[in-house]
Amino acid sequence: MHKFVLTGMLWITAIAAEAQYPGYALLQNASSFQAQFAAASQKTNTVKSDFVQEKTRSLLAEKIVSKGKFWFKKENAVRMEYTQPFQYLMIINGSNVYIKDNQKENKISTKSNKLFRQINTIMIDCVNGKALQSSDFKVRIFEGKTTFMAELSPVNKNLKTLFSNINMVIEKKDYAVSRIEMHEPSGDGTSIHFVNRQFNIPLADALFAVR
Amino acid sequence: MRCLLYVSCWLICAACSSSYKKLQRTEADPLCISAFRPAFSRALYHAQVNVTGKHLSGLLIIKAMPDSSIRMVFSSEAGFKFFDFEFDRTGFKVHYIYSQMNKKAVIKTLRKDFELLLMQHLNVPRSYTLKSDGNYYHVFPDGRDYYYYITDSTCTNLLRMERGSRKKRVVEAIMHPGNDGMPDTIGIKHHNFNFDIGLKRLRDDTER
Repeated sequence: MHKFVLTGMLWITAIAAEAQYPGYALLQNASSFQAQFAAASQKTNTVKSDFVQEKTRSLLAEKIVSKGKFWFKKENAVRMEYTQPFQYLMIINGSNVYIKDNQKENKISTKSNKLFRQINTIMIDCVNGKALQSSDFKVRIFEGKTTFMAELSPVNKNLKTLFSNINMVIEKKDYAVSRIEMHEPSGDGTSIHFVNRQFNIPLADALFAVR
Repeated sequence: MRCLLYVSCWLICAACSSSYKKLQRTEADPLCISAFRPAFSRALYHAQVNVTGKHLSGLLIIKAMPDSSIRMVFSSEAGFKFFDFEFDRTGFKVHYIYSQMNKKAVIKTLRKDFELLLMQHLNVPRSYTLKSDGNYYHVFPDGRDYYYYITDSTCTNLLRMERGSRKKRVVEAIMHPGNDGMPDTIGIKHHNFNFDIGLKRLRDDTER
């Protein structure tokens, strides 16, 4: 009887997940995926890529698209340079963040700002793959035809006010993250799609310097 | 020479900050300024905000909704949302505000600043016009707040907008119109504390 109920519940969960992410099915056992993903992340020391960011404002039926260049260097350095339709530079290097817009430069130490530290950690962990092991999230893995999708649902109260969930789309061919989607409780969201990715090319430390 | 420059700047500032009490009543239609009311359909702005020594930038989207209300959503360049406000003819609604900004004074200040730009107070019953040195001040009182729209004598150019009391200016705003009825640049400056907002219109893929 218990087995029957359990099978039924799993089946209902799988159907609900399929409805949530068309083309994807929930992986009941993700250990093989986790191992492959961890191995690929281990081998990735640098990433250079272009990106397209889409901000969706659901109630406004609005999309704001911006484009730019992205660099990552192990362990925890990220540089994002927005070039269209505005100029904006953000460098995350460890616990330091450097921001430059049209007018000013700003240096922020995330040590003194809990929220900034959390967002900073999420950003870095999504790129280097550590988010899948984070205790801040409940993780479910879905399998599609050419990609996996890791669904990260926040478990702590602060993060729940910011995100309903964060989804990472991971390519099957190389286990690299090709898209990060951040969904807000209001229904709004931001997705960052990485294109023209290059892995393990030399990147100068100066790119990530927070002066 | 440097001294002269300093004195000139001081005189200009002193003139700017003088009260409204020297202005004279004049017969003119204050509603002539409705011609300058921005006709927002959808506009995206890069915003620069300086508040008490801190700097913040982001994207502000202003959009007219099917029910004729105006929505303003401000978020960081990277996607983090700060606020989502709704303005309509009869009121104002906060759909969302980031917890650290969720203070009555902050919301009230932003609301009044944007209402000045949107010209939300033109239908008040006791509007009138004052004049000084060829400039006309079209005044729209709303409770203890007075909204001033300053034009030339023929009401063909909107020079600036101000909010204050009957005697003293609190906020000054300027708006440069684009060719589609929506402003290309907007500047808001507070005179009672260090707070200014600069908005520059962006033409993104949606508008191309």
